Amino acid sequence: MAERVAFSPVPYPRLRRTVKFMLPLMGLVVIWQLVVVIFDVNPRIFPDVPTVLRAGWGTIADGSLFSHVTASLWRVTVGTVLAILLAVPLGILMGVSRGVSSFLSPLFRFFSVLAGIAWIPIATLWFGYGFGAITFVIFNAVFFVVTYNTLLGVSTIPMPIRHAAASLGTSRWQLLKEVLVPGALPNIVTGIRTGMGFAWRGLIAAEMIATNTGLGYMLFLARDFYRTEVIVFAMIVIGIIWLVLDRLLLAPLERATVERWGMVQRS
Amino acid sequence: MKNLSLENLSKTYFDPYAGTTVNAVQDVSLNVDAGDFVAVVGPSGCGKTTILNMIAGFVPISGGRVLVGGKEVKGPGPDRGVVFQSFALFPWKTVAENVTFGPKMRGVGKAERAKIAQEYLALAGLSHAADRYPNELSGGMQQRVGVVRALANNPDVLLMDEPFASVDAQTRMTLQEELTRIWEERRPTIIFITHDVSEAVFLANRVVVLSKGNVLKEVDIDLPRPRSWDRLVEDGDFKALSNKVLQLVRSA
Amino acid sequence: MTYAQTIWGMYVRWTTAWPALSAFAPFVPLIALWGFVVWLEIFPRVFLPGPFEVLQTSWSLLYKGILPAYLGDSLVRLAVGAAAGMALAIPLGIFIGLNQRAHDATWPVLLFFQAIGDIAWLPILLVWFGFGLTTMTFVIVYTVMFPVILNTVLGIRSARPELERAAQSLGASRTRILFEVTLPGALPNIITGLRNGLGYGWRALIAAEIIVGTSGIGFLMFDARRAGSVDEIVVGMIVLGILWYIVDSWILAPIERATGERWGLVTT
Ligand SMILES: Nc1ncnc2c1ncn2[C@@H]1O[C@H](COP(=O)(O)OP(=O)(O)O)[C@@H](O)[C@H]1O
Ligand SMILES: [Mg+2]
Repeated sequence: MAERVAFSPVPYPRLRRTVKFMLPLMGLVVIWQLVVVIFDVNPRIFPDVPTVLRAGWGTIADGSLFSHVTASLWRVTVGTVLAILLAVPLGILMGVSRGVSSFLSPLFRFFSVLAGIAWIPIATLWFGYGFGAITFVIFNAVFFVVTYNTLLGVSTIPMPIRHAAASLGTSRWQLLKEVLVPGALPNIVTGIRTGMGFAWRGLIAAEMIATNTGLGYMLFLARDFYRTEVIVFAMIVIGIIWLVLDRLLLAPLERATVERWGMVQRS
Repeated sequence: MKNLSLENLSKTYFDPYAGTTVNAVQDVSLNVDAGDFVAVVGPSGCGKTTILNMIAGFVPISGGRVLVGGKEVKGPGPDRGVVFQSFALFPWKTVAENVTFGPKMRGVGKAERAKIAQEYLALAGLSHAADRYPNELSGGMQQRVGVVRALANNPDVLLMDEPFASVDAQTRMTLQEELTRIWEERRPTIIFITHDVSEAVFLANRVVVLSKGNVLKEVDIDLPRPRSWDRLVEDGDFKALSNKVLQLVRSA
Repeated sequence: MTYAQTIWGMYVRWTTAWPALSAFAPFVPLIALWGFVVWLEIFPRVFLPGPFEVLQTSWSLLYKGILPAYLGDSLVRLAVGAAAGMALAIPLGIFIGLNQRAHDATWPVLLFFQAIGDIAWLPILLVWFGFGLTTMTFVIVYTVMFPVILNTVLGIRSARPELERAAQSLGASRTRILFEVTLPGALPNIITGLRNGLGYGWRALIAAEIIVGTSGIGFLMFDARRAGSVDEIVVGMIVLGILWYIVDSWILAPIERATGERWGLVTT
């Protein structure tokens, strides 16, 4: 414990950090292969590494992986972008008035806890099986969470800050641009990260039920034929895509706002 | 109470950014008698905190020894109580629980702890706040808790690192007067670190001026006690001594 | 304007008298609006049922005992899964948080497994365990575990070093420091993790019930979807919303606030 303070943190070059991150994952692959070989696991239950790689290569070679991944990502992009474009202005608009925001916040809280998967049945009823239903599920997972967080963010900007801005001669538009939006930004970003977490899971679930392309469908189709090696490969692809999205895009964004401005640290 | 002595204490830090080493403290020797009150002053970065952290056992010593009552110490221990600049109160414990934390670690029973809490909170004038959480107190009150928390554990030496630096000026003066009162009542051995010259002169029997990791000079402060700001602000001796120390610090 | 003011005045007076009321008030205009839209008959009834039909359906589901039974099933699954998930996750999180080597070796793996997500496990679980309780329990335990582990680790590692020093110089042993200083300091993070974990967990449960489907609210909704009975779907959604709203805002959020805010550790 004493040593921890004796040295300042060592500056990490980027490469070294990447290696340090990849090493345990490589170790996991090695352990996986060893376990499968040593215990002679039935490939139906869990295939070994080469089998999964071969299956993965197969899906890459015949182009099916590419079409599933693009279908999933396209749905996520459309749903998320639409949701953010609507949610942020709406949340700010409602948050500006203390009365409106305190009155409406239970409503948005209710819908944000319901967001995502619970909408799958009614979404498929409204839009039929396919792009519409799935995009809707993603849309509402992001929309309600972001609206609620924006509302919360704007309405919790301390009054003294707003008064300070007013007494410095800020116009309404400037107040919005210089105070309300930046003040709510940490909450907005946290909302986007949480909402997309729900949306991504909702996407996989919805694709298992309501479509014939996408990563979720790829998983479920493989299950129908007991092709465990394709299942495992698809799981890894899903993990990597979300890890890249969350760690390289959303988490840094959140760190840049939430942590930099001195709010609580998050995982 | 026991005496504290530092024998040729040194500390070398490694700076991984520059890849060089920094001699933060070099060959410091100092003797504090049992029941004495010594202040250490010096400009920022001269190694005050490093010395205190070595005495407390928070950082490893590069060279030399720290002796409490003639016995060499290694690592942190309850024989040396510490008061922190950042208070370091446990946020999840009430004021009374913070004050009796040390006794609790020693296995003192509940009834006895309640008595200790009562005694020391009265000493700090905080009896009314016993069941509040640190977060609900002002900075000055928090540091009063910090001081009696260390005292309640009956340490041989009390180490204080700029304990009043983060409270407002009025409160700081009150806290300084309270600290001299408590010292006169109980006579703990205190080593008090500060960059504020008048604070050092007001509180201590002896002021040690530090410069770039070395002891520059020791100045005896033979002002009469009890000391109060009302009197000392206009006092010629106080002014002269403060001036003398200030010149030393500025030449450091 | 004056009517609006009168209504607003009533709202303010009543909610100050009974603060719980403010949680229900905004649903009144929403339900009125819903009824109005249905009355206009813009959408066919099979797409959007009216409030009264939904009320009737929920009464009949209650009366037949289907709703209580399914609700009970879902709640038991969630509770068992959450308890098991926590029992595994908290000790593991403490261990990884305290041990730098363990942290270096497991952190990327933990992030990766969290990224795979609970629902993507369903197909392989179906291969392993078939359609049944084991599959569902596994999914919930898995979902609850990761946010709790990650947040526990974070809480332990972000402990303030001067508090540990203070405890050390007051004579606390390593074990005492763990229980008196490190763990309480990590508690707000642990609770946040639990809250996130349960948030993901019950969504995973719904998905599992839809896909694995033998009983539960998720099954109720998907069964209704197959039969084209939209009012039962809406009943299911409302029940889920209310349920989670109660758990989250009346149990989890107050605990989070009670620890975090009184101790001054959380700023929200
Ligand atoms: N952990 C550390 N690593 C490297 N250098 C340090 C560390 N802590 C302190 N130093 C250096 O040691 C010197 C003395 O610091 P410190 O004891 O904090 O001074 P003071 O408390 O008198 O302001 C400074 O030059 C500082 O930069
Ligand atoms: Mg210092």
